[in-house]
Amino acid sequence: MGRPLISALLLLALVAATASAARHWKIDDRGVLMVIAKAPVKTRSWKNPYEGQSDAILAGEKLFRQHCAECHGDDARGLGHAANLRSSFVQNATPGELAWFLRDGNLPRGMPPWAGIPEPRRWQIITYLKSLGPQ
Amino acid sequence: MILLLGLAAAALCCSSRTGAQETPYFVAYSHHLEEPGNLEVEVYSIYGTQKAGGDFIAPWMELEYGMTAWWTTEFYIDSQTTFGDSTVFTGTRWENRFRPLMHEHWINPVLYIEFENTTDADKTLKEVVGVDNQFDAAEPNSEANRSHTHEIETKLILSSDYKGWNFSENFIGEKNLGHEPWEFGYALGMDRPLRLAATPRPCNFCRENFILGAEMYGGLGTVKAFSLSGTSHYVAPLAAWQLPNGVTLSLSPGFGLNNNSHRFLLRWGMSYEISGVGRKLRSLF
Repeated sequence: MGRPLISALLLLALVAATASAARHWKIDDRGVLMVIAKAPVKTRSWKNPYEGQSDAILAGEKLFRQHCAECHGDDARGLGHAANLRSSFVQNATPGELAWFLRDGNLPRGMPPWAGIPEPRRWQIITYLKSLGPQ
Repeated sequence: MILLLGLAAAALCCSSRTGAQETPYFVAYSHHLEEPGNLEVEVYSIYGTQKAGGDFIAPWMELEYGMTAWWTTEFYIDSQTTFGDSTVFTGTRWENRFRPLMHEHWINPVLYIEFENTTDADKTLKEVVGVDNQFDAAEPNSEANRSHTHEIETKLILSSDYKGWNFSENFIGEKNLGHEPWEFGYALGMDRPLRLAATPRPCNFCRENFILGAEMYGGLGTVKAFSLSGTSHYVAPLAAWQLPNGVTLSLSPGFGLNNNSHRFLLRWGMSYEISGVGRKLRSLF
């Protein structure tokens, strides 16, 4: 009697925690702005090795659809509270700041770090994002 | 096997645009957690030889969910078949991994805690601790499956990314909740995709989708006798194929490094990442 009850309570707690966590797993444009503002100064001078290259834009688009579109939408304008990546906050950021943000993420506000993706692929994603231009 | 085939069919029929970034280690862990709101369904098996008993296959299933960007939780169901003996369900495990630091560093720590409710018949060899050796697995299933163990397993995961490589070091401390001493172990892993940059077009067979690496793991004795001897150690190259639709297939032959170790282990598995589960759950509340 005791063990099933404890198991049921644990399961309920897990579901409740999941739902609670799920409410907070997105960020908004303002969050992006605040985090990008904290990018170390040295990151602002990081150069994108693929800047403007058409193959990199295509590769970046492919990667964006695999990793980013689920939250930011196919058009990168953001779904729900996820950031609009065509906003001026993002489009005016330097490639280095975006590279830093993409690598580190924003854990407290739900943006996972993408350091597990090799650096060249992160630059390809940034090349694609920059090619979209502001909305 | 039916579950694996079902998962394979579902993966081929369904399209997911999720690409996992977790490293495809079987034993070691890196600091890359499940993306928040994503559910990864994983089915793995291990085949092992042993001197004092029949060879065995131990399949296990994992459900891995990204609770937040810094917290991943995972539930395991274990079983095993020993040739010439029987097939048994060997228990469940529930693990949680937390990232205490909010930014990337040269070395990134992750704290791991797991509760295990298994029997002595468990042969998944997800970790080697204490003085674990191949003769532990020789006990007949009928006897081993009667002995239930409740254990807390902790890990300090340290992990680094450098030029496409991932290097992970895990230090394991396991405590049987009965009157047993702490047991220790280690696991090391390294891997790298065959190509770092992505190709412009979607492809299944391009080099960017293949990852090669290796793991090494073994025991470190107990709190009373901390030692590399008297326990088992393994080295295991691994290969993984990450398909763009969220399916990852992985394979790892492992080789025992001393007489206490199983001479040969073969691990294989398949995982499928389902994105947006968190959003659907959220809509229910």
